[in-house]
Amino acid sequence: MGTWIDLGRGPLFRLAFAIMILGLLRAFCLSLVGLVEAYRRNADRIVPWRAIAAQTAAWLFPAGRFWRRRPYYGTASVFFHVGLLLVPFFFVEHVLLWKRAVGFAWPAISVHTANWFTLLAIVAGAALLGGRVFHGGARALSRFQDYAWPALLLVPFVSGYLCVNAHLAPGAYQAAMFIHVYSADLILLLIPFTKLAHCVLAPLSQAVTAVAWKFPAGAGDRVAATLGYADRPSWVERGRLESAAAAATAAAANNEVFLK
Amino acid sequence: MKPLTAEERERAFAPTKKEEVIRRQRLSVRYHVEDFDVSDRPRRFLEAFAAILKHTNYRFALDHYMRVTAKCARCSAACQLYMATGDDRDIPCYRSELLLSVYRRHFTLAGVLRGRLLGDPGLTDDKVQEMAEAFYNCNACRRCTMECPMGIDHGLITHLGRYILSELGIIPRNLVLSVREQLTGTSGNTSAVPVPALLDSLEFLSEEMQDEKGIEIPFPIDREGAEYLFLPAVSDYLMEADTIMGNAAVLRATGDTWTIGTGYFDGINYGLFYSDHVMEKVVAKIVAEAHRLKVRKLLIGECGHASRTAKAFFPAFSGDGRESLPVVNIVEYAWQAWKSGRLKLAPDVIEEPVTYHDPCNLARTGWIVDQPRELLRAFCKNYIEMTPGGRNNICCGGGGGLVSIDEIQPYRMLVSGRAKAEQIRATGARYCVAPCANCKKQLRELMAFHKIDCQIVGLHDLLYKAIVFE
Repeated sequence: MGTWIDLGRGPLFRLAFAIMILGLLRAFCLSLVGLVEAYRRNADRIVPWRAIAAQTAAWLFPAGRFWRRRPYYGTASVFFHVGLLLVPFFFVEHVLLWKRAVGFAWPAISVHTANWFTLLAIVAGAALLGGRVFHGGARALSRFQDYAWPALLLVPFVSGYLCVNAHLAPGAYQAAMFIHVYSADLILLLIPFTKLAHCVLAPLSQAVTAVAWKFPAGAGDRVAATLGYADRPSWVERGRLESAAAAATAAAANNEVFLK
Repeated sequence: MKPLTAEERERAFAPTKKEEVIRRQRLSVRYHVEDFDVSDRPRRFLEAFAAILKHTNYRFALDHYMRVTAKCARCSAACQLYMATGDDRDIPCYRSELLLSVYRRHFTLAGVLRGRLLGDPGLTDDKVQEMAEAFYNCNACRRCTMECPMGIDHGLITHLGRYILSELGIIPRNLVLSVREQLTGTSGNTSAVPVPALLDSLEFLSEEMQDEKGIEIPFPIDREGAEYLFLPAVSDYLMEADTIMGNAAVLRATGDTWTIGTGYFDGINYGLFYSDHVMEKVVAKIVAEAHRLKVRKLLIGECGHASRTAKAFFPAFSGDGRESLPVVNIVEYAWQAWKSGRLKLAPDVIEEPVTYHDPCNLARTGWIVDQPRELLRAFCKNYIEMTPGGRNNICCGGGGGLVSIDEIQPYRMLVSGRAKAEQIRATGARYCVAPCANCKKQLRELMAFHKIDCQIVGLHDLLYKAIVFE
């Protein structure tokens, strides 16, 4: 078991981490390149960068808005994210692990603090799952991965908590550590290929939307030409099946509406 | 908000077309559509989608949205349709997923491979039908966009969905008839107003103002080299005489040179509601008229979508490498004139309680929010704020071109306009100011339908009463 655990937090961890970094870099670059290409394709270069930056910052640090809609879900989400970022990166044992992997270290939080944030993340994660299951709208939208992700993210937190507080489950340390290490590796591996890629993509969203509303000149004509009806676009073509008389009646009826 | 009763639901969603038409068009939507080629619809949808992706900028946005969407349902709490119906299909994210799933299945490698492996047939006729319904239930007000933590613009997706559908011929008939008249008809504008009729009515309004105000307030026609080319929604000339008089009075007070062009005088651009192609053609008409008259700026009347299309798309479509002209909305213009002391208003002219409705296309981006409020406070004794308002306003329920679709009026009254009606009722105001032609029409119908004693007016209708000439 010990060998497997060492494998999981040694070479496999480094592999999963490398794939995560490369995958996220790819996702980020795809969006960024698309953004730049779209920007350059447009004649209109007026983009409210300052407003975009403000909106982006407001969503990255949503203190003023998370409770505005679906307040319980929003609150749980914020605490969940805090736990997700703090414990894996700043828990003292993890910092040592990161040091072994990347070669340098940074300030860490103590076992005691990490314990509390772990519990916070577990409670918040469970609340998020509940918020999905018991909210009709969210249930209608949810795909398999939307349920699976909070559940999967909770696994390393629960198992990690059991490892640190071994007195809770005497004798299960090895098993808990095994689950902890491999579930964390799996998560790192999956991040870039799933909705968790939002960790690097979401900061681009406001800019993506602003630039996407800039339409390149002449695109409408080129679309019509590609579809083979440049000479009779959709607003000219009356339905082939509709008689001219019916169209005239409809036009007259329409004008009555405007003129009444 | 009170949920729909079973009876109201039935009324709002009752079919508006004959069985025979639905069968022939194989399209069970409530808005009327001109007959179009119904054969092989999914394939043609995908062809149109592909052509649009190839020539426009939507692809990178869809790619991005598809990756980040978290399905948190936060948008549901911001959507007035979902608030009214409680129907999952009215959640903005659900609606967007209709198009995103087609994109994912047919235009990404992973989707195509997965489709082949699992034997998924892909886009079906039923799904095209579902999109045709969903994208025209939406008001495209973009309130949900402000609430999406992932920054997805559901309004943009509705816009794109409608564009694709339009290339198949699925367009609400009222919209396409107006556009056809505007782009190919003899009058060249959406309300089919001939130039002599326009001139007649302007002359009449000028005389009216002379009688009321005791000074000459002209409508300068085809004045070359003027500072501003004035473009209201053309329907204002027919139906909003008070607004037009207010516009002219403000311009008379400031003394700026302005003109109405007989070559083209319509600010309306339904391209925003269903087709980028149309939008560009309409902008081209404005550009041509502006250059013919050698004006320096465009002044758009009280109309939300006309202002937004001019402001946001004039720079892109003004063409020929010429520098695009600055676009000013008349509300913003009046505010600037008042601020700089060129427009004088008598205080407390309006004694009845007054409230203000923010047109989405003016307020959502934060462009015009405080200006009209400051003006109203300057001459109204009792100004009442509507909540929520400003950037977070609730749409009148006629947004996204829905107000022009007369046959869906019960839907607009009971579903999309429901929240707005309650909001206005709660203010207890006697006047509701709405500086947008579409909002005015929808709100008037709403007040009558819900029996609310509140008069819907434009900002300039009231400014006209308060303006002081020196």
